[in-house]
Amino acid sequence: MAYAVKAWNDFKNYQSTCYRNYLFASGGLRAMGSTWSVLAPLKGLGDDVHLIGGEPHAASTAGTFPDESREDISAAETAGLGFHSCSYLKLFTGEVIRDKIAITDKTIKEGYPKPDLIWTTHLCSQHSKWYQEVSRRLGGVPMYPIDMIGGGNAEKDPKIVNYVSDQIEEGIRWLKRVTGREFSDELFSRAARNEIKVLVLWGNICALNRHAPAPLDERRLIALFPPAVVDRTTDEAVKLYETLLQEVRHMVETGQSVVPDQRYRIVYFGIAHTYGHPEMARILRDAGAEIVASVYTFGTCGNFRGIVNGKWSWDPLDPAWVDGLDLSTRRKTITELVKIALGWPTWQGVRSYWALEQMARAMVTEYKADGLLLAPSRSCETDFRNGYVGMQRIFKSEIPTIEYDSDQVDVRKMDLPGAQRKTELFVHLMEAHRRRSA
Amino acid sequence: MNNGKILAGLDAGHVNTKAVLMRGGEILGYGTEPTGFDPVAAAEGALKNALKTAGVAGSELAGMVATGIFRDMTKGAPLNVTMTVPDYVADAKGALFFNKNSRTVIDIGGNIHKAVHYDQNGNLLDVIQNDKCADGLGIFYTTMAKALGVSEQELSELALQSTKHVSVAIHCAASAESEAIDLMCQGVDVADVADAISRFMVERVAAMCTTMPLEKEVVVAGGLAKSKALIKHLSGLLKQDVSVLNLPEYAGAIGAVMSDREL
Amino acid sequence: MMNKSADTIIERFRSITEDPQGYAQSLKGKGKRLAGYMCTHVPEEILYAAGMIPVRILSSHVSQAMTRSYMHETYCSFSHDCAYQGLARHYDFLDLIVTSSSCIHMGEAFNVWVRFAGFQEKGFLIPYPHIIETKPAATFMVESFGEFKRFLEKSMKKSITDEDIEGAIQVYNHTRRLLKRLWEFLRRENPPITGPEVATVTLASQMMDKQECNSMIEQLIQRVEAEPGKGPSGVRLMVTGGACDDLGMFDLIEHLNDKASLIFIDSCTATRYFWFEVPEDRRDKLQAIAEGYISRIPCPAKDNVPGTGEKKRFRFIQQFIEEYKPDGVVFLYQRFCSPQPMDVVALKPILEKLGIPSIDLELDTTLPITQFRTQLEALVEIIKGVIP
Repeated sequence: MAYAVKAWNDFKNYQSTCYRNYLFASGGLRAMGSTWSVLAPLKGLGDDVHLIGGEPHAASTAGTFPDESREDISAAETAGLGFHSCSYLKLFTGEVIRDKIAITDKTIKEGYPKPDLIWTTHLCSQHSKWYQEVSRRLGGVPMYPIDMIGGGNAEKDPKIVNYVSDQIEEGIRWLKRVTGREFSDELFSRAARNEIKVLVLWGNICALNRHAPAPLDERRLIALFPPAVVDRTTDEAVKLYETLLQEVRHMVETGQSVVPDQRYRIVYFGIAHTYGHPEMARILRDAGAEIVASVYTFGTCGNFRGIVNGKWSWDPLDPAWVDGLDLSTRRKTITELVKIALGWPTWQGVRSYWALEQMARAMVTEYKADGLLLAPSRSCETDFRNGYVGMQRIFKSEIPTIEYDSDQVDVRKMDLPGAQRKTELFVHLMEAHRRRSA
Repeated sequence: MNNGKILAGLDAGHVNTKAVLMRGGEILGYGTEPTGFDPVAAAEGALKNALKTAGVAGSELAGMVATGIFRDMTKGAPLNVTMTVPDYVADAKGALFFNKNSRTVIDIGGNIHKAVHYDQNGNLLDVIQNDKCADGLGIFYTTMAKALGVSEQELSELALQSTKHVSVAIHCAASAESEAIDLMCQGVDVADVADAISRFMVERVAAMCTTMPLEKEVVVAGGLAKSKALIKHLSGLLKQDVSVLNLPEYAGAIGAVMSDREL
Repeated sequence: MMNKSADTIIERFRSITEDPQGYAQSLKGKGKRLAGYMCTHVPEEILYAAGMIPVRILSSHVSQAMTRSYMHETYCSFSHDCAYQGLARHYDFLDLIVTSSSCIHMGEAFNVWVRFAGFQEKGFLIPYPHIIETKPAATFMVESFGEFKRFLEKSMKKSITDEDIEGAIQVYNHTRRLLKRLWEFLRRENPPITGPEVATVTLASQMMDKQECNSMIEQLIQRVEAEPGKGPSGVRLMVTGGACDDLGMFDLIEHLNDKASLIFIDSCTATRYFWFEVPEDRRDKLQAIAEGYISRIPCPAKDNVPGTGEKKRFRFIQQFIEEYKPDGVVFLYQRFCSPQPMDVVALKPILEKLGIPSIDLELDTTLPITQFRTQLEALVEIIKGVIP
């Protein structure tokens, strides 16, 4: 019998509450930005900082309001943002253009709440420019983009760690100037420890999928990581993931899964594509094929051991290690945060093809995959589009591998019929491979 | 397969629907009908044509297997197809039927092109299929032939007469068509434009093929395999010999019949 | 009419752009060590100081689909074509392929060379800021350049001294000044050289031995300075955008039904390549190079001033508009480029306020001449309708 995750509603409520706070807070600070950056510095400004992150908000809006999302994207294109641009960007900017915002609790609000500041990174060649555009359209919002550099082993390179840390240190000075607020290192270090803890906890939860049956599927993983991307700096977020970790451990101990019928284990490299993903999941489910590991859901907000002796390891980190981190000074706190962020699979893979390949290889081995499903997004600049083309070439002779075109939130770019055909083909290839191996 | 029983194979494709009739290992007849907007009617039409060429009545059919993009629509009345198989499965079986030494078939269809790798029994080993941008090569070829005011055969013959290498945009058929017309506006020789169109198509197919090792012998299926210009360029780009199956457009339909072990 | 000698020099530059591999191989034949580079953020001075000739990898304008199974379809044609150069083994004779962290599309072209085209052992990626205006960028660049320098010393088995680097800085600054002087001719109402000719020289310079290049440009400037103008400018058109190494595009601009003159190109294959200088005679040479490269006209992929979100490139564009006085602007960028359109959408309102009409042309491997001609002629007609 399929297991129902008990923590489900708490996760949904946390996500909605974060968005509601941004929309309706009567005081405090509104901070907009990318969830690929470290969030804890913002919390040094006080406990009334309300966040909205571009990608998670666009993803959740697309899932909740497909029609609004189409309007948002069209509005952005009409306003001059290129057809080929990131669809998250267009949806997000489209809301600003239409002066209308929709959130996961089904609220649609007229009047876009203007942020007080923008705090972002530059994940791709377009990323922080998206916020430049939002800032421009809102009459000029102060913004601070952080260059994370990224790449394989980035967290071990002192040059990179110092560069990013220096920017964040400067960024904190900027936050004080722009907001006129004092910066509390106590609040900052607390938020930082929470941020790191959540990332480590999520890694532990993902690692449990190495068991058979894997306790969680991709659909549940996608639904359970939003608190970690929306606001991972709170005590509440830590508690959510500690509770979830306990629950998933229990599932493993008792052999339970949200999808008990798992005849084929799939590793998925692709962005969460809102439209079409349920279609692919249905085709796979009919064959008893489940995605048990995914670089997007694991790597967007999770930390693992990373590159060890030249090879990637998806082994989780010990959450207790986080409690022992020395965050006694601002610089130490910044440094630990930077190392954790640079250790994200996303930051490693986006700048180093070899790290991405290592991740895939390790994931296939550690998660005992029967197939590798690649779904590059036509809207995404990064490895979530391109890296998988090369990966198909490398892995195709080693394991059943199929690649289909997808898009994160633009249904027009989603090749649904093609993706369905290829998913069916993928199932056939896995079945044929298994027959041959028998 | 039981000898003596007449079986029909249907390949309900994007552009054309093909039907074959077979008894044992013998092809009795075949027929084609443009698919248009009614795949079921097209399948009926193709079957009727095949029955006519075979001199066989519909009531003599012991069973019917369908493949192709619209295969599921042929289930139920009036065709009552008894079994469907995916097109890549049918391609492998059909290719093997014509060439027992083949191990890879490249099928360039109206909308989709693929390469299928199989073993000596036609069992699937691997498949690579085009991405969205490369959709519609066959449809593009037909459209360009019309734009140049020639038949598809004539388009191939023109391409073979080309003396100057010109290029069209490679991203997709829409941009290629736009540039082909631009070239004509510039007064470029139609033979050179025809060759650019042929090379565009083959570039897309060949690029896809390089993702997967192509085990020999490599054969080509699909109606476009009849274009000598396409085959010339394909062999050149893949840097290996490829041979065209007999009745290449019927390989799928034949493979559908060959996939049936029950009838 | 320009005298034959200037034409001959320009023709020599053009022939280099038409056969860059041939030119590079001729350098190899003279015993030179060659380093291909894919992005103009590569600090060429360090390569030059190491005794290597940097040659830019540009596109071949051959329509090919080979790269589509290595890189996604929806990466720009320029990056596909550059990747193709490697896969087609056009540059196997290079001693090194280098890039700096660049836009993602060009980064992937570089990856294709390293992963699939045999450059695994002779490839180097220089970590380079993705946001050029961060305060700590210079320190980071100095460290990164230091690592690159040590890599080169090891592979070339020779030490790179401060004198070597200073010498290289001076050679490259000389190239930059010479190119700037050439472009400054186009400010005139009746210039003695055309925009396409200046673009040709600039493009060729990116793949040449700078000693030879400087000598040729010096001779060219001498000839050109003595010449009268080639005729009054037509409608003055400025191009701004991304990499465009198809000189046919610029020839097209000057062969419309109504006379139009190409008077400026803001792109990394034109003025963004050289419109800066590296400070000379500094004690810390790598620091000097970092400062110089930070002072460049920013590439849109790296342009976001922390604190304000300003696009610093726009300051340069406004300066060029004041100095070169275009009547119209052509936005020219690769289809599928992501950062360029983000700048276009912000720049257009500025141009509108300045009363300067503009059009967008998206580049691909091949140029749809007829379509582009139609659009350019429409722009010229709009301009002529707007200005008396």
